Amino acid sequence: MTVVVENQWIQRFTELNDSNEELNAHGKFFTCSYLLDMESVQVLIDMHEGKVKNINLDPGPLDAYDFAIRASEDTWKKFSMPTPPPMYHGIWAASFQRDMKLEGNILVLMQNIRCLTTQLEILRVSGIPV
Amino acid sequence: MTKAKFSPVLGRYVTIDVDGEEYKVFYLENGAGQPLVCQHTAGCHNHQWRGLLEDEEITSKYRVIAYDLPRHGKSDPPLNTEWWKEEYKLSAEFFVKFIVTLCDALELENPIFMGSSFGGNIALQLALHHPDRFDAVIPVEAADYSPGFYLDWWHHPHANASQVCASGVWDLMAPQSPDKDRWATWFYYSQGAEAFKGDLHFYSVDHDLRGKLEQIQGDKVKVIMLTGTYDYLTTTEDGRRTASQIKNAEFIEMVDIGHFPMSENYEVFKKYLEQALNSIQAVKA
Repeated sequence: MTVVVENQWIQRFTELNDSNEELNAHGKFFTCSYLLDMESVQVLIDMHEGKVKNINLDPGPLDAYDFAIRASEDTWKKFSMPTPPPMYHGIWAASFQRDMKLEGNILVLMQNIRCLTTQLEILRVSGIPV
Repeated sequence: MTKAKFSPVLGRYVTIDVDGEEYKVFYLENGAGQPLVCQHTAGCHNHQWRGLLEDEEITSKYRVIAYDLPRHGKSDPPLNTEWWKEEYKLSAEFFVKFIVTLCDALELENPIFMGSSFGGNIALQLALHHPDRFDAVIPVEAADYSPGFYLDWWHHPHANASQVCASGVWDLMAPQSPDKDRWATWFYYSQGAEAFKGDLHFYSVDHDLRGKLEQIQGDKVKVIMLTGTYDYLTTTEDGRRTASQIKNAEFIEMVDIGHFPMSENYEVFKKYLEQALNSIQAVKA
């Protein structure tokens, strides 16, 4: 993926997130950082009070985050379809029934579960950078 | 002045005794005919059956009764015990006894029992232990065994339990279901973290009918299982496997719907429910 395309995806995802009515209504305390591991691409998302503070598509080995959501490229592609097929339609479904793994500080994930769920569904509009 | 719109659904309390414990049970009902007794899902309440309760086609043939299990909705914990001194862990034995006692108190004849999720699992237990008390059971989103959901996250003190519970079940619903109904179901789940975990003790720990399904007298109590394709807990494979081991049982796969069919998308659920009810009536004809 070229830098230009990467930047377009980051901009698109950020706009969709920051203008999301539900996140604007409930995201006051949505402050954390997490990694989406899609095999060939890793997305480090840094959130501050419901808004995207930074997105890093080339995180280094020492870049810190609270928790990670890891799955195969195929799983993320299905997860991000406008209407995902059964068992790819959420992080619980994909963790219980497919190859998705929730790792790191799961407490932070659970503390932000409502907003995180909404934010990941934005991938069904923005697509994924893979 | 605009004329008020009254629902035909009526609510009432009945007090029953189960093992010396006194329960004031709230139930909603509408319709006339064969009783169709409805159990909500774990940690929830009878409002999940709102679509069915107001469905004129169904209630013209069936007396639909949807109750709140004790500690849920408008049914309090037992009135005469210090229930707060024990952790709530629902057992199969109590659950079965409670439902039979309630049906006896309401003097229900030949009821059909229907429940979803842990309500579906208890439907299987009722078929096993009380084949003479029920005309048929409709286990929805049920299986012989459903481990893995008795989790401390449901009421972890450092997380917002209501949001963890509600969001934990969010993707038990299908993305095709209407937003307003998915969010209503989400909202129900933001209300009862303690009951949810205690209920899941039955769902994921105490309920285990592996190796016992062949003992269900399917010639006495008709079993028709319904499972949605978006249910990640009790999958269609689980439902199909379970039904295949019960004499005369039927399995119906529900497409594009999840674990809370009656509240997440009643119009879709209704098609499958009618199929099940017609099948039950065909056996009697």
